[in-house]
Amino acid sequence: MKPFFKPKAYFRPGSLGKAVELLSNFGDRAKVLAGGTDLLVQKPSGVECLIDIADLGLEYIKEHENGVEIGAATTVRSIGVSGSLSSEPYLVLRDAACALGTPTIRNMATIGGNICNASPAADLPLALMVLGASLTIMGPAGKREVNIGEFFENIGGKNIQADELLLSINIPASRGRCGTSFQKLRHHQTSIDIAIVNVAARMTCEKQACVKASIALGAVAPTPIYARKAEALLGKKRPNAAIIQEAANAASEEVNPIDDVRGSKWYRKKMAAVLVRRALEESSRRCGIWPE
Amino acid sequence: MARVNIKIKVNGKLQELGVEAHETLLDTLRERLGLLGAKYGCGDGECGACTVLVEGNATLSCLTLAAHVDGKDIETIEGLEQGSQLHPLQESFVEQGAIQCGYCTPGMIMSAKALLDKDADPSEEKVRRAISNNLCRCTGYEKPVKAILEAARRMRGEK
Repeated sequence: MKPFFKPKAYFRPGSLGKAVELLSNFGDRAKVLAGGTDLLVQKPSGVECLIDIADLGLEYIKEHENGVEIGAATTVRSIGVSGSLSSEPYLVLRDAACALGTPTIRNMATIGGNICNASPAADLPLALMVLGASLTIMGPAGKREVNIGEFFENIGGKNIQADELLLSINIPASRGRCGTSFQKLRHHQTSIDIAIVNVAARMTCEKQACVKASIALGAVAPTPIYARKAEALLGKKRPNAAIIQEAANAASEEVNPIDDVRGSKWYRKKMAAVLVRRALEESSRRCGIWPE
Repeated sequence: MARVNIKIKVNGKLQELGVEAHETLLDTLRERLGLLGAKYGCGDGECGACTVLVEGNATLSCLTLAAHVDGKDIETIEGLEQGSQLHPLQESFVEQGAIQCGYCTPGMIMSAKALLDKDADPSEEKVRRAISNNLCRCTGYEKPVKAILEAARRMRGEK
């Protein structure tokens, strides 16, 4: 291990109250440990204690009449194989889970960790954004709800305080017929590498027209973003190749990527259009309205 | 520095240990228990040389804290041999020439074991996916894939 990551204490609280108390006491000097696949790679310095959330009962996927609730410590593997997520509108989340890392990483990594690590290239947040998910966060003053679209701030920043803990992710049930899609571009499609560009999309259809579209992109801005202009182009129309291409081009104009080792800004903008087109095509196929 | 007391079962044997808060399972296995099969490679979760099974699931022991697996069942490459009889995976890796330097082999075999314990008759694609977190820089992947499929056949009692 790198020498600067040497937390002196390890806690494994058995209740949410105790966990929040520990977080309040240690503040920035504590780190929450779930799957460890980000924390133990980053090995941040200055961490004095680790708070392991393994015994808090946060590993579950519950179906209820208002949607699906997923515990923050649920592994990515469980999400990928869950029967509760094997039909629309949840396929986007299942597919994002199956595209994250490798099978070994998926055995360890958790949905809460993928959200709270707040990487601009994270996979699961995009799926949750198009599903309109909200997060239940607990702090010393009690619980609060945050829409996932309002959770991310700047690179790695997030709407959660040092004394707060993410408890669950709540996905509302869909009204109407839905089709979703998750697309991810990386250097080798089965490799561990993070996305060059990733895209989640969702269409809600009535009769043969798209009444609502949602598109989220990753690795193309400081945070995961919605492509609002592209979404607006799809409303109230029956999707066809021309409309989908127009929306894909609009999304490409909305993004603001950087040049880095994985791809240039120019390439990312081009690929954003390709991935949005594929995501919309698959969404409309899964909705049953493509091809015409 | 406060020690964390843990009980883990390693290859069927209960171990009661006092570990450091920041100690990885890999360090515990290698430094405290002398099990040198799992290797330190990248420390970042990319190479898979440290792969062991935790409750039957392939797990990167360099990214897992020993304290985190308290109460769990751990399996390493050292636990595969029964008496002097190698596990079918070990036998077929040897027979197929799927080992050169051997650094990745323990991790690759444990990833394969996790697959074969759950799926006795996997497709080649499933085998390739199962070892997709195990990098080999000398043998390549053709012979390991062949060896795993051959081991699966033997474990099913064919041939």
